[in-house]
Amino acid sequence: MKITLSVNDRSVDVDVAPSTMLVDVLRDELGITSARATCGVGLCGTCTVLLDGRPVSSCLLMAPLAIGKRITTVEGLPDDDAVVRCFSERHAFQCGFCIPGMVLTARDMIDTGRANTPEEIREGLGGNLCRCGCYVKIVDAIEEAAR
Amino acid sequence: MSWHMPTTVDEVLRLKASKPDATVVAGGTFLGLVIRQGLLDSDEWISLQNVDELRAFGTAGDLSAGAMVTHRRIETEPAVRRDWPGVAEAFGVVASPRVRNVATIGGVLADADYASDPPAMLVASRAVAEVASVRGMRRVPIEELIVGHYETELDDDEIITRVLVPRPTGSAAYRKLRTRSREDRPAVSVAAVRETGGVRVVVGAVSDRPRHYPDICAEWRPGDEQSTREVAAAYADRIPCLDDGRGSAEYRRQVVSVEVRRALMQVSR
Repeated sequence: MKITLSVNDRSVDVDVAPSTMLVDVLRDELGITSARATCGVGLCGTCTVLLDGRPVSSCLLMAPLAIGKRITTVEGLPDDDAVVRCFSERHAFQCGFCIPGMVLTARDMIDTGRANTPEEIREGLGGNLCRCGCYVKIVDAIEEAAR
Repeated sequence: MSWHMPTTVDEVLRLKASKPDATVVAGGTFLGLVIRQGLLDSDEWISLQNVDELRAFGTAGDLSAGAMVTHRRIETEPAVRRDWPGVAEAFGVVASPRVRNVATIGGVLADADYASDPPAMLVASRAVAEVASVRGMRRVPIEELIVGHYETELDDDEIITRVLVPRPTGSAAYRKLRTRSREDRPAVSVAAVRETGGVRVVVGAVSDRPRHYPDICAEWRPGDEQSTREVAAAYADRIPCLDDGRGSAEYRRQVVSVEVRRALMQVSR
């Protein structure tokens, strides 16, 4: 089926089966590779994208469900985004695989006022896994970005 | 392959009546899982994404949530947190915010997954589903709606349109034991809701459907340690527990006896 999606403020037409997941449309049809399908069951957070500003697991989202909504990947954040800057300045990453999901989750936590303490930040990152174990610096970076 | 996007409930019901095999899509998180695992595909999809009336939400009197109200809304809505704290808690511990931003109250009941958090609390809270088809509307207590593994008593032409939860008259507790990770489903969950003259204890995630035994609950005396232990032991004895990746049947029986006791102690106060 042909559908029109809004990705990073750009309108795009794609032809996909209804059961195609959004992450596969982003990666395979649009070449946007920051969203990664890893666990495939919505647990690990590497496929996180924002849908109308709220984080969702794009590995579980049938693409037509995103019709009429704003899809934002980390590529769509402004160049001077505070979260991106703080992750970069504090070297809050090692291999970087999980970072797009971390950044978008942090963006939502800050936008909705749920990043006020390190405890709250750790709670909010509950569904985002970093197998390099960079959590300490990630929490520091989000704490700074929230200020 | 068709993806239908009706905009009214009437239109949904007419479509469902004419295409009883079509798969209804609410939030799509459960469907996303089973599609990815190759367990489901469909030629016809009826998506509720544009049916605004199914997002209606009210807290005057009963809690009234249209089928498309998300877990996140129920979890964060101040009136729900204040007046239905047990319900807010059970929805708030599902998976991660990413899933709760999308998953819906109608969807979690229609998929009838034994390892979901909300059903046990909804049964304990005497919640009722409004179920509609072109033939009319009926109300089904959640206790009767879920009949087994991924099985409800909905007919092929019916959908859940709304869920009603009466205003609580006593305290509530929701206990979730995870055996793997923070965002996991429960290995054992216990919902306990006090009401005038008693308590409703419902155990979820250990068998094919939420388990509630009114005759056992009737033996409970609030604050009495002996009867609390007896109720917990009776639940552990009677539930046919299952084995899965989150725990063996034997382990679950042990945990049920502990968690039911703790839930009852929480609502004793």
